[in-house]
Amino acid sequence: MKEKSDVHLVEYAVLATLAVIISLLFYYFRYNHGVLIFLSGVSSFAYILWGVIHHALEGRLTKFIAAEYTVFGVLIFFLLYTVLNF
Amino acid sequence: MSVLKGKKKLNIVKDWREQPKSIEKFQFVHHFLPHPEEKRRATLLSNRAIIVYCVAMLLIAGIFRFLPKIVPGVLGYASDIAVKDLLTYTNVKRKEAGLSELRLNSALTSAAHQKADDMFKDQYWAHISPEGTEPWDFILGQNYDYIYAGENLAKNFNNSKDVVEAWMKSPSHKENLLSPNYDEIGFAVVNGVMEGYETTLVVQMFGRPRNAAQVASVYEEQTVLEKESAATAAVSERKPEVEGVPGTAEEPVYTPASPEKPAIDVTMATKTVSAIFGGFVGTLLALDVWYSKRKGIHKFTGHTAAHLGILVLVVASIWFVLTPGIVL
Repeated sequence: MKEKSDVHLVEYAVLATLAVIISLLFYYFRYNHGVLIFLSGVSSFAYILWGVIHHALEGRLTKFIAAEYTVFGVLIFFLLYTVLNF
Repeated sequence: MSVLKGKKKLNIVKDWREQPKSIEKFQFVHHFLPHPEEKRRATLLSNRAIIVYCVAMLLIAGIFRFLPKIVPGVLGYASDIAVKDLLTYTNVKRKEAGLSELRLNSALTSAAHQKADDMFKDQYWAHISPEGTEPWDFILGQNYDYIYAGENLAKNFNNSKDVVEAWMKSPSHKENLLSPNYDEIGFAVVNGVMEGYETTLVVQMFGRPRNAAQVASVYEEQTVLEKESAATAAVSERKPEVEGVPGTAEEPVYTPASPEKPAIDVTMATKTVSAIFGGFVGTLLALDVWYSKRKGIHKFTGHTAAHLGILVLVVASIWFVLTPGIVL
């Protein structure tokens, strides 16, 4: 049980690190919309990938869960793209 | 105990049969709250619902793109950019880099104004016009004989500081801004309608005159600054009278910049749309976390807390990090 929670901690730490790195890159390139749109795509893809790998490691990955992370990833991209497109 | 539970269940079914409205209420509540029996999220958080939000956002973005073509000038970028601030921020950056300050030159200022007017007139956003006119043509057209010259462009920005910061973040524009080869500078900040959007163009022109004795004096710089602020004030006061003057309809709509706001600020509008959708989904996710914990519902779904955390980060970035504006 303890091992499982340690694995969880590592996986959430990976997600938090990714979020911090992408936030810093967002701030650094805040005046370059082309780079920001690219970063938005990368962030969405990274989140989908994290969700799929995390649930696969937990042994509870289903098509429904993979689809859920995909639609949330797409939603994140569109939230950013709606602003960056103008 | 189990008998009592069974009785209670029977009572609930009886109640529902007698009061069909309570079933409707139960079903309505689960548009927003997770289903304890079906062990899934609220209906408005289903994968299908999220796809609907994405399509809705795409449609709204499409309207913002299409609307300026039907009604030009309604959507736009609110800005408060001043030549004096641009000059100050530029010289602060040069000073920090150990370079001499640039002096505002009237010929370079006129050349920058001509360039901005030409971009609005021919509806282009480039260093070289569709007819092949280069920045140097505008500078030479003002009888400014130079050894070195350069041009930076910016559009859709909110304020002077962001314009200079954006130039500093771009290597080629920074090279111009911090070049030791220039002694003088000229700015144009002009409002107009570009591709249907009400916007502000900023043109920055650099130069070193062939004759070093021709470098602008402090007096000339002051005169140019006064002229710029007088022109801005005059446009602000005069504008209501200019509207409706016969013959102006066919002419391009452009005026020297004054701190005005378009009917709909496209930056605020898009940020609000994203915040509404992001906020709505975020609130439902927060409700999901709270209600599931309270009722002990274990759902066969992804991690709600992870979705919520990422969503909060995205909405915060949209409001506090993203700024409008393009440099060229």
